[in-house]
Amino acid sequence: MEMAHLWGILFLSLHAMVPITLAAIGETIEESAGLFNIGLEGILLLGALAGALGAEASGSASIGLLSGMTAGALVGLLFGWIGTTLRGSQLITGVGINLFALGFVALMLTVLGAPGFHSVSREIQVPLIPLGVGSLSPLVPVTIVLAFAVWWLLRRTQLGIWIRAAGDNPGAADVAGLPVNALRLGTAVAAGMLAGLAGAYLSVDWFGAVTKEITAGRGFIALAIVVFSGLNPLLALLGGFIFGLFDGLATWVATYPGIKEIIPWQFVAMAPYIVTLAVVAGGIGRVRFPKGLGVPYLRE
Amino acid sequence: MANSAIDPKGQAPKTPVHGQILLEARGLSKGFPGVWKHLILDHLDFDVRAGEVHTLLGENGAGKTVIANILSGYYGKTDGEIRVKGKLVSFDSPRDGLAHGIAMVHQDLMLVGAFTVAQNVMVGLKAPPFSFRLHQVERKLDELVAHYGLQVDPRARVEDLSAGEQQRVEILKVLFHEPEVLFLDEPTSLLTPHEADQLFVVLRAMADEGKGIVFISHKMREVFAVSDRVTVLKLGKMQGTCHISETTEDELTRRTFGETVPDYMERPAVRSDKLAIKVSNLIPQGLEKKAPKSGFSFTLRQGEILGLAGVAGNGQSELIASITGLASPASGQIIILGEDMTKRSPRAFIEKGVAHIPERRREMGIVEQMFVAENVVLKDYRQTPFSRNTVLNHHEITAHAQDIVARFNALVPDLWDTECRILSGGNIQRLILGRETWRKPPVIIASHPTEGLDAKAIRHTWDLFLELREQGSGILLISEDLDEIMSLSDRIGVMFEGAIVGVVEGQDADRELLGHWMAGTAAQAA
Amino acid sequence: MTTSAQWLRRVGPLIESLLAGLIGLVIGAFIMLAFGYDPLAAYLSLFSGSFGSVYSWAETLANATPLILTALTFAIAMRGGLFNIGAEGQLYMGALAAVAVSLIHLPSPFNIIVSLVAAMVAGMIWSLPVALLKLGRGVHEVISTIMFNWISHFFAFYLIANVLTDPKRGEKTISIVESARLGRILPTASLNYGLVIALITVAFILFFLWRTSAGFELRASGYNSEASHYAGISLRKQVMRTFLIGGAIAGLAGAVQVMGRPPTYAVMSGMPQLVNLGFDGIGVAMIGRNHPVGIVVAAIFFGGLMVGGRIMQFDPGVPFELVRVIEGVIIVTLAVPELRRIFSVARRKLSGGG
Repeated sequence: MEMAHLWGILFLSLHAMVPITLAAIGETIEESAGLFNIGLEGILLLGALAGALGAEASGSASIGLLSGMTAGALVGLLFGWIGTTLRGSQLITGVGINLFALGFVALMLTVLGAPGFHSVSREIQVPLIPLGVGSLSPLVPVTIVLAFAVWWLLRRTQLGIWIRAAGDNPGAADVAGLPVNALRLGTAVAAGMLAGLAGAYLSVDWFGAVTKEITAGRGFIALAIVVFSGLNPLLALLGGFIFGLFDGLATWVATYPGIKEIIPWQFVAMAPYIVTLAVVAGGIGRVRFPKGLGVPYLRE
Repeated sequence: MANSAIDPKGQAPKTPVHGQILLEARGLSKGFPGVWKHLILDHLDFDVRAGEVHTLLGENGAGKTVIANILSGYYGKTDGEIRVKGKLVSFDSPRDGLAHGIAMVHQDLMLVGAFTVAQNVMVGLKAPPFSFRLHQVERKLDELVAHYGLQVDPRARVEDLSAGEQQRVEILKVLFHEPEVLFLDEPTSLLTPHEADQLFVVLRAMADEGKGIVFISHKMREVFAVSDRVTVLKLGKMQGTCHISETTEDELTRRTFGETVPDYMERPAVRSDKLAIKVSNLIPQGLEKKAPKSGFSFTLRQGEILGLAGVAGNGQSELIASITGLASPASGQIIILGEDMTKRSPRAFIEKGVAHIPERRREMGIVEQMFVAENVVLKDYRQTPFSRNTVLNHHEITAHAQDIVARFNALVPDLWDTECRILSGGNIQRLILGRETWRKPPVIIASHPTEGLDAKAIRHTWDLFLELREQGSGILLISEDLDEIMSLSDRIGVMFEGAIVGVVEGQDADRELLGHWMAGTAAQAA
Repeated sequence: MTTSAQWLRRVGPLIESLLAGLIGLVIGAFIMLAFGYDPLAAYLSLFSGSFGSVYSWAETLANATPLILTALTFAIAMRGGLFNIGAEGQLYMGALAAVAVSLIHLPSPFNIIVSLVAAMVAGMIWSLPVALLKLGRGVHEVISTIMFNWISHFFAFYLIANVLTDPKRGEKTISIVESARLGRILPTASLNYGLVIALITVAFILFFLWRTSAGFELRASGYNSEASHYAGISLRKQVMRTFLIGGAIAGLAGAVQVMGRPPTYAVMSGMPQLVNLGFDGIGVAMIGRNHPVGIVVAAIFFGGLMVGGRIMQFDPGVPFELVRVIEGVIIVTLAVPELRRIFSVARRKLSGGG
């Protein structure tokens, strides 16, 4: 294998890492406070759409990314509101969001032109940083910085203590005077924002297009990574990279002559999910989730 | 911290109490006359002085926890005045109380398991969101730990600590805010006697510094080990306050647990010698640290009612879980009707003939969302005629449910349309009684069976128990109601700190003696 | 409880679903207006396309058939207090197992029976590990079922492309052998006897949940695991039963789709006729309030939306995807217990201040 191939795989992996890790980091904040959003996939999709539309309307890629974040924040707000104030089922809301997003994005694609596909023109895509051996999207370093920032937020700030208390023992947090539902709502918005950004990245940066299948289950992979990382954003970064690696490898295996006859690409594609299962099954004793996860908080 | 200040054998410190009145309540009331049997708190006068350890003594339901909650800001009051150092105050929340220097350590632990001790303290901190004062908090906690001799490591994860250590963490959490008055609700419930003594040393030190400590307890040994003054409450009413040196254990026991002698219900003597239950050296799950190495040991004969008295929290729930199969015991042996049933499943106990009337009717005794008829056969649905080859026979189930409802006077609108959730507690209990006793089971474990029932239902239940006893059932009655225990039991035992301390014949039982055992004072020869 | 309050309790969930459905349609109308479509014409076209003729009814029912089954999988789990969203993965395996086993070339009807059984077994094999992981390692089924869905997805692709491939046409599997095909009920529509199988399953589950001791145990443990433990019910057994039964039914869903769908009676690469049946089933179950009869009604509604949606796309040109949007809104609406609170308040007032 030549060096060019190795660099290619590395860059491919880093790019694939971005959306998964961003969504995972956001979900980590949310789960630390006790909310479980299975609708990440839907938010990614909506973020992709919003990102593309925003970029086109304004002619700027950054506005596109911001639009994605805004769309995600709004959906996150809805999810948080239903899950906290209204004490609704987080799982059912998440499933509903996924279905809605699937339909809405497909609808918009048809309405806006070629059904099922909408490309974002080159000029308004996020410009890549040429590094000699390849071009890197600026969102890669952004993702890495965000991973550290969220780690710092959760583990080294007073706010992080409050968030984690609300997730682990909302009763104790309440008694100590914390606004549990407000905290949870805030984390839902933050998670939505990051997932929206991840989605916008897919359309305005990486793929440069919006399709119905553009998310390809990445929202669910992000959920798995959150489990895998034990709510540690740095481990989520690592997990995202590993998944990205498999993602890149699968494409590579499917096309590289000589290899593709020996290893069916489908098994490489399966590998991340099997690994997640193994980690979750093997390590679940050591990984510890907030006791209040998924349960709406009711003051007695 | 000289240990000579405390002598667990019952010599009270002789320091007179003359400190400033830190906290005072006058005419404090809670509750509305006519709504409940009695006011929860009935015009109480209470004060806490600097430099004293003041114990609040009383049975369950006496109001000790309520008064503490009100005076520290967790509950509101209906009437009366509260003064802090002479100034009139009104608390809207525990934070208000804390701001005035009054704090409470509850019996229930309110800790974030995943955090360290220091991080738990940070939860309640008033600090800007992006600050991180962990090290400052840890340092201050180190100082507090050293100063008071509380054995807690501020850097340890709460989950990894024992229940006793966690209780100390709660105390430390509160000390961090430097209160002047500290309420502690049954702080030794999770502690071993040794840990309790260590706690008393700490409390004494705090008092000597000028704080006012209010200590809620029902255990006489503790009262005499650490108090300066003691106040007795009974059913929300003040029974008196005095300096510990002015009273005796006997007098306090009498004041706390009452003097009336209930009617012992006459009945023929126990005929059988066959054992329904034989428990030997049982240490139930959860009591491994608390219980003495000998654990629980007792026997119950067929056709006998054994009453186990005792204030809640002395191991009752754990014992019941072990002898009904709900939890595997840590050690010991349980023999039911001659068969070793240690560690068997609940189903095995049910099939052996052990009926269980649980304390928590709504959460455990029934499935609230299911219908009346379904709950009536909740344990019998597997047997013919209610099902055959896994197919349920609605006709038989309906007939049976009708029968039970009628015989036990349960007021239910219908059998298959009403979720049990909407029934009153009393009616639910009637259904449970019917369900558990209709087969005249050889062994009945009844936990607080008449709590919340009206007088007629209580009488009905007592008659039922005596009738079942006549027919050969062995009944283990666990209750906090001494009247009930003394009226029904052939023999009476008292549960205290994970063991049974003393067993007497029901007819000869002396309320004062029982009170002594419930309070943990060494029984004088009756 | 007065009789009107009782009536409200029984009918309440139905009203909630209707209300949610209405909200979904209203929001769909707003979206259509936003894009310049005429909602009335669109809905007219939608509903006549799904329920307007015998042919449309047939197509609607054909679409409803697998949804009934995948919805049952989810609903049974919900009744047992578990969240089984693995129908998707289980049904792929069921479909492929049916294809494989039909190749034994047994005469009909044995081949049909054998293929269906094989599909059920395949579904069970796929759901068994989820149950074991939950019981043995405490793995939450939401995560494990999602993982198994994706593993099944790729494994199915592999089988379609490499193991069960039709030698003549590489983009599909070998067709189900004639003797294992489910006959059509109407010669011109895709409605087939799979519907009968689905309805038989509904009857069986109805009987199982409310007329057997096993069903009793499942419902009790779903409502209150502590009381069930107290009553001697084995909670571990319930987890196993829930996932195994659910897996079998999901496998059946896959089989029915392949064995009954003309003209190819095979699984195409990309699995267009299988994909999303599991997730749509979740929606159907929720709208049907996890009750077998409600599920049938909800499945017909969903199936109708899909058929009518295509007609609506044809004329007046509203994209079919709007149907998914409406489904999503309905489900989010159902997540809100506010609806239930309105009803419990009404119920209390009617029963005289309860």
